[in-house]
Amino acid sequence: MTEPLLQVEHLTVTYETRQGPVRAVDDVSFTVYRGEVLGLVGESGCGKSTLGMALLRMVRPPGRISSGRMIFQGRDLMQLSEGEMRKLRGRHISMVFQDPMTSLNPLQRIGDHIVETIRTHEPQVSKKEAWERAAQLIQRLGISPDRLKDYPHQLSGGMRQRIMIGIGLALNADLIIADEPTTSLDVIVEAQFLDLLRELRDEFNLTMILITHNIGVVAELADRVAVMYAGRMAEIGPVHDVFHRTLHPYTRGLLASVPSIRLEDGLELETLSGAPPSLLDPPPGCRFHPRCPQAKPVCAQRVPAWQEIHPGHGTACWLYAEEEA
Amino acid sequence: MTKTRKLREEPTSLMGRLLRGAYWYGAEWYWTVTGGILLVLIIAITIFAPVISPYDPITTVGGPFERPGGGQVVLLAPKDSGITAVQKGLKVAVFYNTTAAIVAEKYGLTPRPYQVDKDLFAKVRAGEAQAVLIAARDAAQALADHQDFVQVGKPFGPHFLLGTDNLGRDILSRLIWGARAVLAVAILSALFSAAVGVPLGLLSGFFGGWFDRVLSLIMDSVYSFPGLILAIAVAAVLGTGVVNIAIAISVVYIPTYFRMTRSQVLSIKEELYVEAARALGAKQREILGMYIFPNVISTLVVVFSLNVADAILTEAGLAFLGLGLQPPTPDWGFDLNKGKAYLPRGYWWPITFPGMMITLVALGFSLLGEGLGEILNPRLTEE
Repeated sequence: MTEPLLQVEHLTVTYETRQGPVRAVDDVSFTVYRGEVLGLVGESGCGKSTLGMALLRMVRPPGRISSGRMIFQGRDLMQLSEGEMRKLRGRHISMVFQDPMTSLNPLQRIGDHIVETIRTHEPQVSKKEAWERAAQLIQRLGISPDRLKDYPHQLSGGMRQRIMIGIGLALNADLIIADEPTTSLDVIVEAQFLDLLRELRDEFNLTMILITHNIGVVAELADRVAVMYAGRMAEIGPVHDVFHRTLHPYTRGLLASVPSIRLEDGLELETLSGAPPSLLDPPPGCRFHPRCPQAKPVCAQRVPAWQEIHPGHGTACWLYAEEEA
Repeated sequence: MTKTRKLREEPTSLMGRLLRGAYWYGAEWYWTVTGGILLVLIIAITIFAPVISPYDPITTVGGPFERPGGGQVVLLAPKDSGITAVQKGLKVAVFYNTTAAIVAEKYGLTPRPYQVDKDLFAKVRAGEAQAVLIAARDAAQALADHQDFVQVGKPFGPHFLLGTDNLGRDILSRLIWGARAVLAVAILSALFSAAVGVPLGLLSGFFGGWFDRVLSLIMDSVYSFPGLILAIAVAAVLGTGVVNIAIAISVVYIPTYFRMTRSQVLSIKEELYVEAARALGAKQREILGMYIFPNVISTLVVVFSLNVADAILTEAGLAFLGLGLQPPTPDWGFDLNKGKAYLPRGYWWPITFPGMMITLVALGFSLLGEGLGEILNPRLTEE
């Protein structure tokens, strides 16, 4: 857990729109350690998915990575050529998308998806070997190897999502970025899928960035949590610390707004007032201050600096700056 | 105790799918099968043309404008002549320029052609000929009129199921051989336009940018031409011949393929599975070849069959205007064109049958195309 696999430093992704540049990801820094699951949470539109795509350098025009560094296994991804980057995708960093219904080619058999991925990156592997590897793999994922011959539409959503994970595992990717992998699954299948992910994490020593807006998924699976708000990192820390020694008011609001089955009668579910700001014209200072119950004058003026409050648990909030000052 | 029905194994072989088609695809299936059968028939005809064609399509085998079903002749001799069979060298009185006149020579008879058909029997009585050779269909009336004549032997000679044209050529044979030319031109032109339009559409849609802009502009300007006029212009420049005509027609349809492929690529390249393939390190070439192109094919097949139907009509149009295949090559459009001149005189058959064939083949391809459009969509097989 101590060896950094990926260090993201001051990453900024800018979309050039007609109204002006939009910084969907703004000066974000974090580290992913080998063997951990990092949960990346935030509201829709806060830049989580863009961040995921940026890690693969797959941000599409008009968006672009305008600054920052991404050190992956000692190499800065920003310095790689497009060809080197392509070889790295799938082989070292793999991605699982939100919608399993559409992330498989409808005209390709399941097996061919896996075999093709294996052979793209390891051309020396024969088709037969690759097929056998695929069979073993999906058996491990709880799908009968017969199904390799099926087309995607013949599988259920949960199965397809397992196949997607399987494609990521087929090459023993060092890092798997899962972009809301359970969003389109129903709760039962979601629970099974999460169980499977947990098993796989232990078995294959997976390193994963789990992008989600579902705090429950993070609580179940993640080792550490990164909370994003309006393109900026609000808080990063071990799951337990973030949930129980919450630093940032936004995280607190987010946690409070999770419905609990134990919610007592008459207790209103808390909601964060207001809406996330437009990234086209973000509020000055801390972007959360218009909605922050603990906002102070300084919050509207200057951007809070990142600081580590407890070991491995940091935030960007003026509340803590003052305490120390 | 209720019987438990064993779940039927779904057949996935080609034949299995053909037989179970209606069950899976609904009524659409029957149209597809009808179109398919029509086309199989037409293709069989083109392959077996030398075998099934009763006559040579480009030689005169009968009199002009022999009615459908006509062609048979019968020998009528005077009762007292003693002629009992169709003998070689027999001098027969025939009406000038009829099937009888042509058949007579073929059977070794010596024809004596006369310009007025009422004269035939008089000439025999006058001793200028030994017998009369007339169309079988007129025999009964003639025998009634001329009681001193009897029929000798059975009717003989050719049988023109669909009649003959102005030059006495068998229309059925011309249709059978014409199918070759028409299908060759139509399918070749559809292939040509697909071969040019699809790759351009793929590249244009996939890479976009100025390449796409320029190409789309060119294609749109070609598209804005009326099809037949463009084909006429190209055909006039290229000259005739199967390949040239096919190219002339294909120019008209290239934009159709281009635009269809391009729009498909534009939507498919936004699909998540293309993004996913990219995230797994697939090369551009692989994405285009394995993810995008196969997903365009189902639409392509449909456009192709509809395009062939259209090309047949365009080819017929070109031939109709004299820019198609040149005679003596049998060609439906050409026959249609020639035939129209004789329609006012009541000769309906030289124009009707080629027209029907054009309609049938175009219909066959259209039905197949429309049906396939429904069926080839893999997502429709989803329960």
